[in-house]
Amino acid sequence: MVLETRTLVLISAAVVINIVAGQVVRMLNIPLYLDSVGTVLVAVLAGPLAGGLTGLMTNLIWGLILTPVAAAFAPVAIVTGLCAGWLARAGWFKTWWQSVISGVLIAIPSTLVAIPIITFMFGGVTGGGPDYAVAYFAAVGSSIIKSVAFSNLGVNTFDKALTALVAFVVISRLPIRLTTSYGFFAHSRA
Amino acid sequence: MAWKGYASKGLLFTPGASVMHRANPLTALIVTLWAISLAAILPATGSALLTLAIVAFAYACGVGPTTLKRLAITIVPFGIALFLVHGVLVHAPDSVRVGPIALSASGFAYAATLFFRLAAMLAASLLFVTTTHPSDMLKSLDARGVSPVVSYLIASPLLLLEPLSLRAQGIRDAQRARGMDLTGSWRARITALPALLIPLTALALSDLDHRVLILTGRAFRAHKRRTVLGAPADDPAQRWFRRVLAVVAVLQLGVPLVWH
Repeated sequence: MVLETRTLVLISAAVVINIVAGQVVRMLNIPLYLDSVGTVLVAVLAGPLAGGLTGLMTNLIWGLILTPVAAAFAPVAIVTGLCAGWLARAGWFKTWWQSVISGVLIAIPSTLVAIPIITFMFGGVTGGGPDYAVAYFAAVGSSIIKSVAFSNLGVNTFDKALTALVAFVVISRLPIRLTTSYGFFAHSRA
Repeated sequence: MAWKGYASKGLLFTPGASVMHRANPLTALIVTLWAISLAAILPATGSALLTLAIVAFAYACGVGPTTLKRLAITIVPFGIALFLVHGVLVHAPDSVRVGPIALSASGFAYAATLFFRLAAMLAASLLFVTTTHPSDMLKSLDARGVSPVVSYLIASPLLLLEPLSLRAQGIRDAQRARGMDLTGSWRARITALPALLIPLTALALSDLDHRVLILTGRAFRAHKRRTVLGAPADDPAQRWFRRVLAVVAVLQLGVPLVWH
């Protein structure tokens, strides 16, 4: 894969957007992640491979400088970027409601990838907000893997829908001169 | 040193002159990976001892307080959730009712194994990030012939992180001054999110064209390898040490798997 310089610059900005947005959400003490806004943005503008690469770089750099645990979730971030890019190619980022539906669809594979990581590497908990839901489902008799699946699918669905919506709003406000320079964005132009 | 003046940039890195600081970053990385692979196979007691050893080594390297603080911040909420879920909430065959709750000895043992394993892995990672500056790591990768594209993808976000974090703080302060509630109810905080994230993202993308022009003007992709000035010191002894430790790390993970 040969990345254009323009795409490289976009990816580096998106990695920082992901990390800072994640910090803003944590500052607000909200049980969401919202650390994929930049990943979805790159996927819509430059395609699935660039989106997947943005996810990978985000979690590796986040792990390298702030929270080593983040590196373990790099596969989830890659899947998020790839799925967002494929949905964009299919024309599912043309309107705000399509973006929300795309976010919901992205949540499914990203949750499927996250479940084994959370269950087998972290024993079903991550020390974050979704742990309350895991504790609840475990208390009412669900197995750990089901508890992780239910809680993360719930949180992830809302999180990715909001992520896709924020990415759509940002892209729709970008100068046309900028968006037209990314050929892949033609798939998402209304 | 390349990292002088970088300590305030929100990184965990702490300047120093310890053996970990002086080691080539690739050597420090292999030591970290070896410790992580060791933690993956040790029982709870072994992982606990390994965690203690790493924290003690971190203190010897002058990064003890930073390592211990970050370790506690990350591992304590994780540990509480882990012991609560596996020891109390998940029903196991050996669960014993104590008043309104059921406690499981096997659940607590499993939680302890996971807790100390992750503590050791996290401590090893923290020792690496507190003693190795990312720019030194990059120079080591460059010296080993890594593509300029990969170097850019690692270096550029690190340079952009502090300015954008400051912008995020500025946006937050401005929105609060205009009456936005960032500490109120769950709904108020969710409502505040787009007002913080949208300007932040738009600002991060505002100078993309400018940066593309600068990079193109510098012809940064003209050669497949970059010439590295002031690369971290490396020597044959470290290179052999890395090779041996990498083999040991793989073997200590693989042999028990094959054996069982």
